[in-house]
Amino acid sequence: MKQRFSVTLALLAAVTFASIANSASAQRGAPVRPARTADGKPNLSGIWQAMNTAHWDLEDHSASPSQLYQTGAVGATPGGQGVVEGGEIPYKPEALARKKLNFAGRLSLDPEVKCYMPGIPRATYMPFPFQIVQAPGMILMAYEFASADRVINMGKPVEAAVDTWMGTANGRWDGETLIVDNTGFNDGTWFDRAGNFHSDQLHVVERFTLADQDHLLYEATIEDPQTFTRPWKISMPLYRRVEKNAQLVDFKCVEYAEELLYGHLRKDPSK
Amino acid sequence: MNRLLVAGAVAAALAIAPLATSPVLGQQAAKTWTAPKTPWGDPDIQGWFSNLSENGTPLEKPAQFAGRSLEDIKGDELTSIKQAAQNRTIESFAGPLHAPEDWWQKDLNMVKGSQAWLIIDPPDGKVPALTAEATARQAAAAEARRANPRGPADSWEDRSLYDRCITRGLPGSMIPAIYGNSYQILQTPDYVAIRYEMIHETRIIPLDGRAHASPKIKTYMGDARGHWEGDTLVVETTNFRDEASYRNSNGSTLRLVERFQRVGPATVKWSVTVEDPKTWVRPWTFAMPLTIDDTQPVLEYACHEGNLGLRNILSAARSEEEAARANK
Repeated sequence: MKQRFSVTLALLAAVTFASIANSASAQRGAPVRPARTADGKPNLSGIWQAMNTAHWDLEDHSASPSQLYQTGAVGATPGGQGVVEGGEIPYKPEALARKKLNFAGRLSLDPEVKCYMPGIPRATYMPFPFQIVQAPGMILMAYEFASADRVINMGKPVEAAVDTWMGTANGRWDGETLIVDNTGFNDGTWFDRAGNFHSDQLHVVERFTLADQDHLLYEATIEDPQTFTRPWKISMPLYRRVEKNAQLVDFKCVEYAEELLYGHLRKDPSK
Repeated sequence: MNRLLVAGAVAAALAIAPLATSPVLGQQAAKTWTAPKTPWGDPDIQGWFSNLSENGTPLEKPAQFAGRSLEDIKGDELTSIKQAAQNRTIESFAGPLHAPEDWWQKDLNMVKGSQAWLIIDPPDGKVPALTAEATARQAAAAEARRANPRGPADSWEDRSLYDRCITRGLPGSMIPAIYGNSYQILQTPDYVAIRYEMIHETRIIPLDGRAHASPKIKTYMGDARGHWEGDTLVVETTNFRDEASYRNSNGSTLRLVERFQRVGPATVKWSVTVEDPKTWVRPWTFAMPLTIDDTQPVLEYACHEGNLGLRNILSAARSEEEAARANK
């Protein structure tokens, strides 16, 4: 009698324990990643993606049709809230005129169409994921689009040796925030598909702050005295791609742009 | 007095010099060196690397070394082979049309190359025989080219993926060219990332034991999975696109197994086992050292963005056709 009672108790305890253990792991879902790296910094490693319409236009915009009627609804622009603090990009008048020309000619002028490296900050909010690999002393950001990447130097700041598409990045920690100072850009990249652009005087200061395990707050302050009347700022959340099998899949778009870029140089078999 | 001291120092240096290169001392040095670990305990293979000095090493064992092993060819003999290779490389770029010398010639140091050929298995140093299937496949491709002859630059599609700035594929991305031979390895507990300057590739290799992506997902650089075996990082890559599959192998069945092992303060040994039962009668392996070199960081190689070469090749071909028509 006594024995049976204690067996029952043990069973009860086991069942209770099991259900607690189950609910704990159910709540966790995927295994919890360490929130900090070995050197005690916030761990930003992971695959991230923006979920907004900044890539179509950084400013507030209505939905609009494609320039190519053949693409129907597929090529149309979704409307959406802008990500520019204060609403408008403070262009100098002559730069605003150029922005409008860019927009009108975007099908042939947008560097994205030609599969050029997207530059910073555009690479961050394209409709493609990117991956942060936070190694000791260096942080890699690899973008799915065009195999673009950049390494953020976390050591003694270095000067940009030459102008490049993705810039020269020096990073440092300010408490919980990764601050990345980017210089050494060429004037070849745009900010979005709406023709927003910059000169080679571009200076971008980014701030990455984990809001929680799966949300990364992103801010970029953009300075370019040749193009804008004052520095301006964009901000948006980035979302962790939480799928267990999430990975970047090469998007080597060069071959998708060759007919556009070199089609006029193809041999004409009729001649 | 001073002169005596100098003479004494020279004599001491001369006495030490042969000792320093003796195998006994070399072994002792190897014993005192311990492979570094990351803060979380994995072998540390991180850094900036260059393999410029391995440029021009033939894949297969040249006939002149028949009967000899890779280890036998060293010292002055190896240096003279490498010097000759460097001279040939420079000569091959002579002529009116070539890249500016200052892009690459001053950095060329093939004389420091560490081996006379690359294949370490099979022992004869040769790529194994093709399977019957591969022979038939390659014959069919050659026949298709004969049936539909094309010029070397009728379109961009007649140029290599390298000329088009799409990819050098795998293992091609790690094979040295005359410039741009910088690489970087970064590590976290969950991933190893490898960056290749030429022509800007990034591989991010998961270490968590996950399965390969679906065979329906094929890429030029393949789908890589890694794990640690003792002090060696083993990376298995599959899911290749046929257009970029190594040495015309079958992209769906090609499996490359790379091994990265830190063997010295500045050296990571890299080997690649090539396996494709639809192409070769047996697997084969080649190896090459990667040298840590902080003076050679990976710079941005905007190959496609600045690809005037391809544009000029195509427009030159059209101009030649135009001139030929005018002369008729």
